[in-house]
Amino acid sequence: MKSSRLHSPWTPWLFLAPFLLSFGAFIAWPAVRSLMLAFEQTYGPKTTAFVGTANLQFLVHDPFLWTAVGNTVVFTLAAVVLQIPVALGLALLLNRSDLRGRRFFRLVFFSPSIVGLAFVAILFSFMLEKRTGLINASLHHLFPAWNPDFPWLDRYVMPSLILAQLWISAGFYMVYFLAALQNVPGELLDAAHIDGAGAWQRFWHVTLPEIRPVLNIILLLVVTGSFQLFDLPYLLYNDTAGSGPDNHALTVVTYLFQTGFRSGDLGYASAIGWMLTLVLVGFALIQRRLARAEES
Amino acid sequence: MSTPDHRPLLRPSTLVIYVLLAGFGLITLLPFLWMICAAMKTQQDFYTSQFLPPGNGLFGVAWDHLSLSQFVRLFRELPVPRAMLNSVFLASVGSLLATFFCAAGGYALAKFKFPGRELLTTLILGTVVLPGALLLSPRFETLYHLHLVDHYLGIFLPAVAPAFGLYLFRQAMVNSVPNDILESARIDGCGEVRIFFTIVLPLIRPMISAYLIIAFIALWNDFITPQIILQSPELQPLPVAIFELKGLYAADYNLIMAGTLVSIAPVMFLFLLLQREFISGLTSGAVKG
Amino acid sequence: MRSLLKLFSPGLWIVLLMAVISTVLVALLPVKANRGMQMWVFDANHAKIAGFIAEDWNRAHPATPVQVKLITGAALQTRMLSGFYSDTPVADLIEVERSMIGQVFAGPVADVGFVDLTGRLDRENLRTGINEPSFSPWTTRGHIFGLPHDVHPVMLMYRSDLVEAAGIDMSKIETWDDYFRVLRPLMLDLDGDGRPDRYLLNSSPTSLFYHEVLLLQAGGRLFDNANHPKLNEPLNARILAKMATWYTGPTQVAAEAPIGGPSALQLIREGYVIGLLAPDFIAGQIRMSLPDMAGKFKFMPLPAWEKGGRRTSVLGGTMLGITKAGATTSTAWAFAKQLYLSSDTAHRLYDVARIVTPIKANWNQPFYDEPDPFYSNQRIGRMYIQLAPEVPVRPSSPYYPMTQQLLSSVVIRLCRYADEHRLYDGPSLEPEAQRLLDEAQHKVEAQIHRNAFLRADR
Repeated sequence: MKSSRLHSPWTPWLFLAPFLLSFGAFIAWPAVRSLMLAFEQTYGPKTTAFVGTANLQFLVHDPFLWTAVGNTVVFTLAAVVLQIPVALGLALLLNRSDLRGRRFFRLVFFSPSIVGLAFVAILFSFMLEKRTGLINASLHHLFPAWNPDFPWLDRYVMPSLILAQLWISAGFYMVYFLAALQNVPGELLDAAHIDGAGAWQRFWHVTLPEIRPVLNIILLLVVTGSFQLFDLPYLLYNDTAGSGPDNHALTVVTYLFQTGFRSGDLGYASAIGWMLTLVLVGFALIQRRLARAEES
Repeated sequence: MSTPDHRPLLRPSTLVIYVLLAGFGLITLLPFLWMICAAMKTQQDFYTSQFLPPGNGLFGVAWDHLSLSQFVRLFRELPVPRAMLNSVFLASVGSLLATFFCAAGGYALAKFKFPGRELLTTLILGTVVLPGALLLSPRFETLYHLHLVDHYLGIFLPAVAPAFGLYLFRQAMVNSVPNDILESARIDGCGEVRIFFTIVLPLIRPMISAYLIIAFIALWNDFITPQIILQSPELQPLPVAIFELKGLYAADYNLIMAGTLVSIAPVMFLFLLLQREFISGLTSGAVKG
Repeated sequence: MRSLLKLFSPGLWIVLLMAVISTVLVALLPVKANRGMQMWVFDANHAKIAGFIAEDWNRAHPATPVQVKLITGAALQTRMLSGFYSDTPVADLIEVERSMIGQVFAGPVADVGFVDLTGRLDRENLRTGINEPSFSPWTTRGHIFGLPHDVHPVMLMYRSDLVEAAGIDMSKIETWDDYFRVLRPLMLDLDGDGRPDRYLLNSSPTSLFYHEVLLLQAGGRLFDNANHPKLNEPLNARILAKMATWYTGPTQVAAEAPIGGPSALQLIREGYVIGLLAPDFIAGQIRMSLPDMAGKFKFMPLPAWEKGGRRTSVLGGTMLGITKAGATTSTAWAFAKQLYLSSDTAHRLYDVARIVTPIKANWNQPFYDEPDPFYSNQRIGRMYIQLAPEVPVRPSSPYYPMTQQLLSSVVIRLCRYADEHRLYDGPSLEPEAQRLLDEAQHKVEAQIHRNAFLRADR
């Protein structure tokens, strides 16, 4: 990097200015302000009261928050256990270069992630209905023992959410895996094949280590994405503002949203936001530490 | 690239793979098919079939029961045209601005040495770890004080400085813009702005296309930000409008499905056209090559 | 220039084109300025009625017309709260439902976004003519913020065609136990899959509204007169324990077809539920959405919990509030009075939606005595009015919506407990019901306690 003589020292700032203005006002400042807000209670942005550490104290004992954390953790675990293997599996299926129509299948599997979450929620709210919903009707048709009035949205909230998210995300992560698989050096695989390794062994000992960096990134994406689940439950259970029956659909971000924009308490919402941030940053740091330990 | 198998083309294992792919593909597409059929059916046919209504026509389908009347209704009687205009406006202008701002910012961070560059880069890219939810409340407060609530700018201004975009463009600049070209242009007396537009941007054309589409789709599909900020129904984009429609016409599933179809069609079409750029842009941050 | 054009990929062209065209259109098609006073309504029937009255008003007052807008409930609540919190545009008049009003009353009284109507009501001597309990949900800290829309007594609506075809005599039924015992033979398994396809009552653990209906009918309560939460009173535990036995296990007699969704209409047609808890507005709704079911429903007062007990309850409730941010309060007030207090409105309210007015003076109007052909010529208007004096009082705490949800949680968990321990009678479930209610009580108290604004006002 050079040529400091051939351009004025203001030039880089000129190019940065548009970005920095918006960034400063709408990302940097809010980040700082949220730290301040965590010590206040508000009734909308007009009315604030300083409450010291009351928000943090309440946070530790707030049963709704911990219900939300529990739900979010369960959802995240399910997402990791389901989405990553399915995405990887689909990518492996598609990775055969002798496959025709690969572009087509890639498109098909990726397409659900292009549909907006709002529309997925509307679609699934119809598909998960009793009796006439697509899922119950199809399952009953295939397996007559299946209860056509299976109460997906009433009693099986988490499975419903997990199912919808799987439909949305599997193809999305598949694309990442596909790109990674394409980068696995063919010579390594050929060498292993010549050495007599079977398909599973080739996968386990050659492919998997080669795609490990991407796997780590995807793990990070899945966990951070799942932990921030909001649109789907909020829209599916809009009549209870995203809580769902017995708060089974309540996630951390949903609770934050309810607190901030329904109750108007931007202060407590910020406190919840920082708790969420610490958890996510903590996870990212731990994962990086583990990944580095693996490499050495 | 993995080397091709030196084996005959349609082995049984390949067939199995095709079958599996077709099966999963069908499951993936089922909701779309359902939605399309639902948008064209009538209230009564909702209960008689999941897809096409049975009848006396070709293939045993009652083709005469299908109609596009719900689509007509969406555009004539309901505020869908305005919502679509709002969506197009917010997504296109917003993505253009975001792309431009990130490209300019990425250029500055990648190709110029100046005091504070490292600190600034770390600070900005560091905010990627902050969940959007954290910033919702204080950002709303800021917009309130700036009188930007219920205004298009309330959506644009916060959306044009995404740290992730900056990261992608900075990468692209580092990878695709050689310093010597810049130097020789400067020696030739080219102005900085001219260099940016005529030399730098064409070199990162793939990233521009990619990010433009990514940002466009994200803005188009965004529900929560417009829901909080845009309160006047005339300003609301499709996700908010269709969702409200569902509240009002809950039992008219065909109307809602038509609305949903109309809302996702433009983005689907754009994606079909530009899928290669989109995917390459998406994965460029994670996977090399 | 050529190198500049190299920049443009097809994607960029398309987006650029869209940006230019849409910007031009947005600039040319500005947001229409609303003329006159705006009124937001969340119910289609209310919107229809208000529309008629607005037409009359607009003819008489061309300078200050009223425009009625139908907005779905969730969106209305979002916009209303956003308007109160952040000064985004709100209507001059808003109809608010009980489940939406909580947050409006949770801040300082001075910050309530609606105009305080207490003074006007007293000065114009309007309070005595209105059913007093109808005011309670809209009152906070002694101030009334809305005109009440309804009384909403609850009756039992049942499938008379199925009941009479089975030769069952409904007149002997006095209590819920009687009801379930007498109608049990109707719970048939029609498709042979081992599960009943007919249930006797339209309710389930996840229904938000019905638990309160039954609780209040039985004499339980959520809040006392001073708005202190009283969730964990022993009577509540006893009632909920009994209710749980209706929802699960071999004693299950209730399931829900949630009115509003597309499948619900079909389920009701098929007789999935024989009896429905029907406040007056449900009578109107069913009449509207299931016209093919004329003559198949009849009404009777709710079966009591104990012999001689209360035969009705209350569900829902709407008020009309005037926003502080709106246009001249006096004009809005004049329209509000015309909309809510006139006998013309009372007539339309009953005609369109079968809703009984809270204006007592209108209760002797003849249209309430007309036989309703849809409901087998019963005089349901008069039936509802006769139950009005027994309608339980609705609480006005800002935490009412929260307790509504907590109640649902308690019932859901109680049913799960019942299934896990195979306990299907009231007395065995009471201890667990009490425990769950204690937990719920603590949750509400914790929230009330942390509210700095409520504390400041006291």
